[in-house]
Amino acid sequence: MSKKVYLDYASTTYVSNEVLNEMMPCFNAFYGNSNSLHSFGREASSIVDRARDRIKHAIGAKKSNEIYFTSGGTEANNWAIRGLAHAYSEKGKHIIVSEIEHKSLLDSCAALEAEGYEISYLPVDKHGLVKLGELIHLIRKDTILVSIMAVNNEIGTIQNIKAIAKIAHDYGVIFHTDAAQALGALKLNVEDMEIDAMSITAHKIYGAKGVGALYVKEGVRIENLIYGGSQERGKRGGTLNVPAIAGFGKAVEIANRDVVVNQQKLRNVREYFVKNVTERIDYVTVNGHPLQKVNGILSMTFEMVDKESLLMLLDIEGVAVSAGSACTANSTLQSHVLKAIGLEDEMANSTIRFSFGKNTTKADLDYAIDALVKAVEKLRSISALTKAGRR
Amino acid sequence: MFSERILKRFTDPKYAGGLRGANGTGKSGESSSGDLIKIYILVNDENVITDAKFKAYGGVCTIAACDVACGLIEGRSLEAALRTNYYQILEEMGQVPSNREYTAALAEEAIKNAIEDFYKKKEKEIKSKK
Repeated sequence: MSKKVYLDYASTTYVSNEVLNEMMPCFNAFYGNSNSLHSFGREASSIVDRARDRIKHAIGAKKSNEIYFTSGGTEANNWAIRGLAHAYSEKGKHIIVSEIEHKSLLDSCAALEAEGYEISYLPVDKHGLVKLGELIHLIRKDTILVSIMAVNNEIGTIQNIKAIAKIAHDYGVIFHTDAAQALGALKLNVEDMEIDAMSITAHKIYGAKGVGALYVKEGVRIENLIYGGSQERGKRGGTLNVPAIAGFGKAVEIANRDVVVNQQKLRNVREYFVKNVTERIDYVTVNGHPLQKVNGILSMTFEMVDKESLLMLLDIEGVAVSAGSACTANSTLQSHVLKAIGLEDEMANSTIRFSFGKNTTKADLDYAIDALVKAVEKLRSISALTKAGRR
Repeated sequence: MFSERILKRFTDPKYAGGLRGANGTGKSGESSSGDLIKIYILVNDENVITDAKFKAYGGVCTIAACDVACGLIEGRSLEAALRTNYYQILEEMGQVPSNREYTAALAEEAIKNAIEDFYKKKEKEIKSKK
């Protein structure tokens, strides 16, 4: 194996130098507990405050204390769904989410169902956009929460968040969005987009793994998550991971600063990749919305080829891609997202996700495309499926 | 996730491809559930499988299982080949993740179907000669 090409940025990114530089002093110079009263503690506390401020500015929050640090997107999603549901249970026990949410959100809903809550799953069209008309029909008197992800992690489709939030608010319902894949790919403004709660994470935007945040608008109630400390205003106890938080603040600031430039670059990357792949390989389709999409995530179906076999052949050539999302790739189950957009099982089983990032070069793409052409040809030559009867 | 042995079989299968003049073909699996296997056999007048090949739409273990299965039946009599079961295939594959053990059973089924197909064709041939 000579060259290695990473095309799985939607699973996680490396930590950028700027972020790393922000983190390093927090390990051995400013190592105080941010909750301590002495100077070491105050130093650490001011680092955390700065990170919180940076995030506040980047997402357009009104106050920095609307941001609660968590261990990542999964925790933020778990907390948002269950914490909001429990806080508003006296009003009702009905929640609406889309069919294509991340597993951390769907599984939190399943846990609530076991507690007696009722969950409605909002369908999406073939491009992965939620059906707004159906949302209105699903909202009931006892609906307490609508949660729709901003950007889908498997197909990259961008939802009309503001419109969804408006509908929810028209009916007096709280709106949460999982913005793990949206952060850094879109300009986010929680005030303008009327978002009540939003999950974000650092490791998709060149920050460290193990840190994320939940934005909760002032005035919105949420049940405490972790007891035993006054951290995060008593809602999520536990000593803060200062280095990771410092890096997260920096990463969000950079992501927000570079969002336009990055998307333009990723758009070129994506277009080059799609053009070359579709020119050189037959029976390929691109999934997701043709326009309303983030450029970094690309879902492609290679007919007659199994996703796992394709992924492994690419891996052997040093090219890292993902079968669906990393969070579900280990299971042999079909992707719920691809099913929701109406892909047949056989097509879903032939679908892989490429995701691009800041370090993706043209040389990387050329190498990956060559490896892809070779791998698809090889697997098709031994595939039990034939082209007969296809388009 | 996959052993060296399985990966070797997967990346460099000895028995992958079609088989010209095959007189028995066996299918198993469903493309909609993610695995479709075809095993082709060429049987001589002494009822010995002289050649075996496969085509597969499926994951790493599916391809490895087919390759192992073809290796196990090539050069053997139909009777012996019929006794090939998925335990043998699994053993030959080495360490198989438990959620992929079914691939060996699929390969076994395809072998049985190929041999059955051979007998059916033979029966037809004999009948038509009469």
